[in-house]
Amino acid sequence: MPTDVLDRELVHSGHVGCPGCGATIAMRFVLKALGEKTIMVLPACCWSVIAGPYPQSALKIPVLHAAFETGGATATGVRAALDMKGDTETTVLTWAGDGGTFDIGFQSLSGAVERDENFIYVCYDNEAYMNTGVQRSSSTPYGAWTTTTTGKDWKKLRKKNIVEALVAHRIPYAATASIAFPEDLLRKAQKAKNMKGSRFLHIYASCPTGWRIPSEMSIKIARMAVQTNIFPLYEVEEGLRYTINYRPKEYLVREYFRLQGRFKHLTEKDLDQIQQMVNEDWELLLRKAGEHV
Amino acid sequence: MIMNKYVNPDNLYIARSYLTTESNKTGSWRFLRPCYDEKTAPCSIACPAGEDIPRIEMMATQGLFKEAWEKILIENPFPSVCGRVCFHPCEGSCNRRDFDSAVAIHSLERFIADTAIRYGISPELEKKPSRKQRIAIVGAGTAGLAAAWFLSLLGYSCDVFEASSEVGGVLRWGIPLYRLPLSALRHDIKQITELGVAIFTGKKVSKEMLSELKKKYDAVFIGCGHSLGMPLSVPGENLSGVSEGLEFLRQIRDGKSPVCSGVTAIIGGGNTAVDVARSVVRLGGKALLLYRRRRQDMPALALEVEMALEEGVELEELVAPAVISEENGKILLTLQEMKVEGEECGRDRVIAATGKNRQVRVERILKAIGMQASESWQQADRTDNEILTLSHSVLDSRGREAVMVLGGDIVNKTKSVVDAVASGKQAALALDILFQEGIEAVVPKLQACLVGPGSSLSMEIFMGGERRLRNKHVVSYEEINTDYFRFSPRVTQPRLLKEERIQSFEEIDLKISAHMAMKEAERCFNCGLCNQCDNCFIFCPDTSVILGRDHQGRHINYDYCKGCGLCVVECPRNAMSLGEEKS
Repeated sequence: MPTDVLDRELVHSGHVGCPGCGATIAMRFVLKALGEKTIMVLPACCWSVIAGPYPQSALKIPVLHAAFETGGATATGVRAALDMKGDTETTVLTWAGDGGTFDIGFQSLSGAVERDENFIYVCYDNEAYMNTGVQRSSSTPYGAWTTTTTGKDWKKLRKKNIVEALVAHRIPYAATASIAFPEDLLRKAQKAKNMKGSRFLHIYASCPTGWRIPSEMSIKIARMAVQTNIFPLYEVEEGLRYTINYRPKEYLVREYFRLQGRFKHLTEKDLDQIQQMVNEDWELLLRKAGEHV
Repeated sequence: MIMNKYVNPDNLYIARSYLTTESNKTGSWRFLRPCYDEKTAPCSIACPAGEDIPRIEMMATQGLFKEAWEKILIENPFPSVCGRVCFHPCEGSCNRRDFDSAVAIHSLERFIADTAIRYGISPELEKKPSRKQRIAIVGAGTAGLAAAWFLSLLGYSCDVFEASSEVGGVLRWGIPLYRLPLSALRHDIKQITELGVAIFTGKKVSKEMLSELKKKYDAVFIGCGHSLGMPLSVPGENLSGVSEGLEFLRQIRDGKSPVCSGVTAIIGGGNTAVDVARSVVRLGGKALLLYRRRRQDMPALALEVEMALEEGVELEELVAPAVISEENGKILLTLQEMKVEGEECGRDRVIAATGKNRQVRVERILKAIGMQASESWQQADRTDNEILTLSHSVLDSRGREAVMVLGGDIVNKTKSVVDAVASGKQAALALDILFQEGIEAVVPKLQACLVGPGSSLSMEIFMGGERRLRNKHVVSYEEINTDYFRFSPRVTQPRLLKEERIQSFEEIDLKISAHMAMKEAERCFNCGLCNQCDNCFIFCPDTSVILGRDHQGRHINYDYCKGCGLCVVECPRNAMSLGEEKS
């Protein structure tokens, strides 16, 4: 592992990400780990804008902007072209938001990983279509306000468990990571880089604008998501071997919800129910990891 | 083979970016401005000597023990002593108390000093060029020696006159060896003499000699302490079996073993009373400690009292001596019982419970109720307005002769070792300002050298060190980002067992290992200081924290910083601030 990983910088200043943007922090970390021998496929998402309008680029690596639903397919093509040129060294990275992963790009992703295409797919998850104005996605958590789930109609459906969907494809590597745990994130990105086949990283990336939180709180919120078990850090190899990377402090989810404007309508009763759902998910994960509940 | 020109990457028919986003100066979005802003730790203002505790612990964490030792010495020449006998008010204000428990600052101070002893290293401290003024110091106690230390660092030559055969004052003659071994004291004093301070022992300064000194020197510092016991003011206190506790300790420290057979009554509740009682036990006697208030009101350190009781000292609370008389060669002590009623000066007031008297028969009585000045010229005249009365010293520059400065126990409100150090420091700084800029400059210049909003002076600030740049804001517990700290138990001080303790005057507190010390130092939040953790750089979404070789190690690129505030919130130690952007 290169020792200067943290110092290398592949994201330029001057990008137009919102102040406190978690997705940008995630990008900095992942590119630090992957290095400059990386080609990025960028389906429509916040980063399509952050990466800069033509003729500017915020990244020091080649980026292919792609259609919303084509993250998996475009990467397949890029990989095939590189392989034809005999370049097996360059990493192909698809960088997609939750909309492009959970919803619109899901068939393309599922197809690519079923074929075990040799690439890394990173979903930076800000839990709604933030770029277009905070519309709900299948990643939006239970209880959240969005511009399409307003007032009393806040989202009353669970968040899709995307990692388990990928694990079901029995891909070599699937993991969750958080911008609040840089060491864990960098390690997972480097581990993925050194593997072959389809690799999937689900990165929790807070969104101050869409979540109605102060910009300086975006890391704190991301950390609390892990500490409360809402977003556990774990990795799965070959779809079978589960490793839980962080033992949460088991804070109450209440603390996490209270800090965010998108949850402010929730009553104590709702929060109790959410706590139960989180506990249930955590116990399920423990069982999968072969640990005692 | 014919080359397809479209394969040539220079002629791809897709739009390709050729500029970076750096032409967007996103700094214009900013309405809050982060900056590096080191602040003041609560422990450092609680320390009367104003030690830079968060920096010292940071250095200890990094294994920079010599540098940590020098960092202490610039504010306090007695780390070896204070690591052992100081009442460590620093720990009482440690922010870590709200997290798990206070950092064992005194144990670390002692460890750092012991390490310096062990490796025989000499401090490298900045010394100002020589000044022409010469200063006489009366009394080689803590205050006098501290004054000599700071004056020497400021370039003045000092002569110290000490009445007894060895220097150290109460540290040498009044604190039992099990709390302060001679080697520890001598090591601290060695640093002072190596700075070029001349010490003349066996020179008792009388009123006549003082007027001689006033002619020969430019200033005289009087730090002779209190050597006369306070009277009990009860009938029979002049009987031969009644003597001073401090004198008893002095005999022991002089190598003698005063007779301690039978029961010895000790009157008082301070550290001296407890020291006397525990010494009596070590000499084979029975100690009966009589205190007019309750145990929780005792000025002695709670731990000392606890250990004394473990060792077999008997404590009687709420009793005051009423009459002392002789009876068949023994002493008959009549005790007046006291009761708690009301409050005064923040603690419960006790008054005599009428009609409740009882008697105890003891071999002797040792008084430990406080001391006073033995001669009137050793007392500060606080009535004259032309005399400058400061918190820890009194300056008299009226006459044409030498400037007179009184310091140490004779002027300090709290009579502790570290307050004596504070006194020596204040006197030294005040004299320097007086000589260089005149009497009017003393108060404002001292004011500028205070640590944070507190009353402790910093020599480092006075000498123009980096500490002067620190924000005076005191970091509170809420301002620490505790997500970056783990619960970790405070170091357990290894001690001799009770059975081993009462056998001899061996030092009770044993050494801690370097490993334990570094682990303990790591517990320190380093409130308000940057320890180069790089969180600000790591979490910046705008790549606007630039690592560099400048003093801070990094700087903010305000061309692009959007002022999101993440760096400030994720700073574990509150070494950054977020302020409003001034357009």
